[in-house]
Amino acid sequence: MNIIVLVKQVPDTESLLEVDTANATVNTQNVKWIINPYDEYAIEEALQIKEAKGAGSVTVVAVGPDRSEQALRTALAMGADTAVLVNDAAAEGSDALGIAKVLAGVIKEMPYDLVIAGVRAVDDDGYQVPAAVAEYLELPLVTAVIKQELGEGKITCHQLVEGGSLVVEAPLPMLFTAQKGLNEPRYASLPNIMKAKKKPLEKKRLADIGLDAALVGTGSAKVAISALALPPERKGGKMVTGDTPEALAAELVRLLKEEAEVL
Amino acid sequence: MATTFVSDRNLNFLLHEVFDLASLAEHPLYREHGRRSFDMIIDATLKLAKEICLPTLREMDEQPPVLTEGRVEVHAAVRRFMRECGDGGWIAAGFPHALDGEQLPQMLTCTCRYIFAAANYSLSVYPFLTAGAARLIANFGGAMLRKTYLPPMLSGRWQGTMALTEPQAGSSLADIVTEAVPMDAAATKAGSPYRIRGKKIFISAGDHDGVDNVVHLLLAKIAGAPAGVKGISLFVVPKLRPQSDGTLIPNDVAVSQIYHKLGYRGCPITELEFGQRDDCHGTLVGAPHRGLFYMFQMMNEARIEVGAGAAAIAQAAYGAALNYARLRPQGRALGAKDPDQPPLPIIQHADVKRMLLFQKAFVEGSLALILQCARYMDLEAISTGVEMEKYALLLDLLTPVAKTYPSEMGILSTSQAIQCFGGYGYCEDFPVAQYYRDVRIHPIHEGTTGIQGLDLLGRKLVRHNGRALGYLLAEIQATIASARNTAGLTAHADALATSLDQLDAVLAHLTVVAQSDGPDAYLADATVFLEFFGIITIAWQWLLQAVPAAAAEGTARTASDRRFYAGKRHACDFFFKYELPKATALATTLLHPARPTLETHARHF
Repeated sequence: MNIIVLVKQVPDTESLLEVDTANATVNTQNVKWIINPYDEYAIEEALQIKEAKGAGSVTVVAVGPDRSEQALRTALAMGADTAVLVNDAAAEGSDALGIAKVLAGVIKEMPYDLVIAGVRAVDDDGYQVPAAVAEYLELPLVTAVIKQELGEGKITCHQLVEGGSLVVEAPLPMLFTAQKGLNEPRYASLPNIMKAKKKPLEKKRLADIGLDAALVGTGSAKVAISALALPPERKGGKMVTGDTPEALAAELVRLLKEEAEVL
Repeated sequence: MATTFVSDRNLNFLLHEVFDLASLAEHPLYREHGRRSFDMIIDATLKLAKEICLPTLREMDEQPPVLTEGRVEVHAAVRRFMRECGDGGWIAAGFPHALDGEQLPQMLTCTCRYIFAAANYSLSVYPFLTAGAARLIANFGGAMLRKTYLPPMLSGRWQGTMALTEPQAGSSLADIVTEAVPMDAAATKAGSPYRIRGKKIFISAGDHDGVDNVVHLLLAKIAGAPAGVKGISLFVVPKLRPQSDGTLIPNDVAVSQIYHKLGYRGCPITELEFGQRDDCHGTLVGAPHRGLFYMFQMMNEARIEVGAGAAAIAQAAYGAALNYARLRPQGRALGAKDPDQPPLPIIQHADVKRMLLFQKAFVEGSLALILQCARYMDLEAISTGVEMEKYALLLDLLTPVAKTYPSEMGILSTSQAIQCFGGYGYCEDFPVAQYYRDVRIHPIHEGTTGIQGLDLLGRKLVRHNGRALGYLLAEIQATIASARNTAGLTAHADALATSLDQLDAVLAHLTVVAQSDGPDAYLADATVFLEFFGIITIAWQWLLQAVPAAAAEGTARTASDRRFYAGKRHACDFFFKYELPKATALATTLLHPARPTLETHARHF
């Protein structure tokens, strides 16, 4: 069974982020980069499936600049077999659909039975890329999976929904997204880190996958971020004063109406 | 909350900008490695430390090991961490490829241990004690011992310990009485079985349920051996004895008590009885009567690890204090009169900055010395002849300093971390109280500060005609020379040169004392000498860091790098203003003719 895992490199959630207001973006100069934690569930699940089958391969795929190679190497150190990085300046500034076009472009050239992605990326939190990839590849999609069972030519997924879970069956090949709870991702081991250096990591450009640069990048993005700001600082509390409970309540209502303007 | 228990920026600076770790990869021994794998290893270590070690720091302190029906129960994190360190290759990291290790340079393995220790010192001890014990078996044990014990130890299934101390002997190993009797009177060669009988105390991780077996590297005297340290032999004594069919049977090793300690509570310190039923088997490691020599191979490494552990705990305490000082508003600038002005974060007060700089200067100076020692180990491993001797002697000389300076000063540094928190620091709500308790063991275990002083002054400085000191002075002079060529560092270079003159004067004086008044007088202030020598050594390490930092500050591309290098400059200035002058006072003491510690009699107290 050949499994493809979509990987995104994101800022470590413990990094102190600075907003670059002029460019409506985050200043990433001092950021520590990690694999999107939900993608780690996806990688782990792929590895477990491969180990259970005793055959097949796990390929990790990412779109991004040079530094994304680091995330792919870490995935290789977890145990993935090969990696593909699409690194093309023309893809920079793509929105979710643009990235999905690139990913779908790479994947359709490869043999695969299953595609797994993280349910969301912790940086943009868009939830869109995996769904769009499934759409472009015309694959069935199941999101937020917390358990799966592979059968002959099909897969049964337990999908987390509000208040419970749905059991969904889909034919292979398909794409599912990994939700927290699916598994516990393994740590990269020293022997695997050493092996990861020698595993194949293929770098591609848009031309290599036959994708027209005009279809991706800032120019074709349907979504633009117009401004980015930190949440306002919390202001100090206010003590309501009054002699009786009635007076206190009346004052509170007045403040909620006139100052907070929530009533 | 941001990760504060360790500074990966500082680790990067030391490993690459000061000690040029990647250059080791040019040597065949380390050719498998390179900057990329080094970085991945550090990242993987940080992740493990953050996700497995750090979350149980407090719990392991609050739920110390329990002795139930002869078995020590420890926190569940121990089994998990031992397995991760075994399966992940961390225990075998520094072992050669032939033993399925990764043959990593010591600078890197040392950094990994430092990271784990900063996250949770007690937890970090289990795998690395095992690595130390396994290394003894690998270096000196026969094929059978290696085959039987190394795989389960390196994979984290079995715990390794060092069983040295006995109740009546304490630091004085010459007086141990644990006895080994050959089971076959004719066989005294390596690998032969012995019957062991004796009692050991203060054995770290001496028994616990986080592993399936415990392997003691035990010092004992073979019946009829010469008296003193020349009659000590080294044995492998398992808790459960492996049979030829692979099964394990009890080996008559009993836990008689576990100690209730001030800190470092996540790791059981045990008292062990060997051979109460006369059925405790041990296997001789190497030749008879060479035990102490073998053990000291491990001990030197263990001593540097102790120094690293102390610095690591202080690093975590400093991180917590720094975080708190940035967030805690209190008081106004001393000149500000307006009480309506909002209070300042306490990090803006000069005295708080003094406390933080003290911690920064201590932690980063100590870590530099630890990595310097690790670098000498690596250089020793890749050189031959005179070069190899040079690095071996440098390492030997600096070992008591690398063990003691971080351990003793770590107490003061974690104390200053508490001080930054004020009353809250004295309460257990914040981790600094625990760090203060945890760090206190370090001047005691693996050779007390008193022993280290005797080791430095009585052995390391005088052996080999004092060549070790000659090598060290040459290293320090080289750093002084490069600092003299660096703008802003000439005054520090001169100050360190003056300290070397003081060192010279003190040693000349002590040589006269030794000749005229004998060893008691020569060694009476060995601990004070070690403190004096330690301060000068750390001043050297600060100058060594300041040179590349000064060059980089001017050319740094990012604001955060510029801030980092400026921080290095200020911490170095702090050390030279506040700490190095203490060496002058200690020199005064060391040159002083009065000898109250020799002349005060027990009845005078």
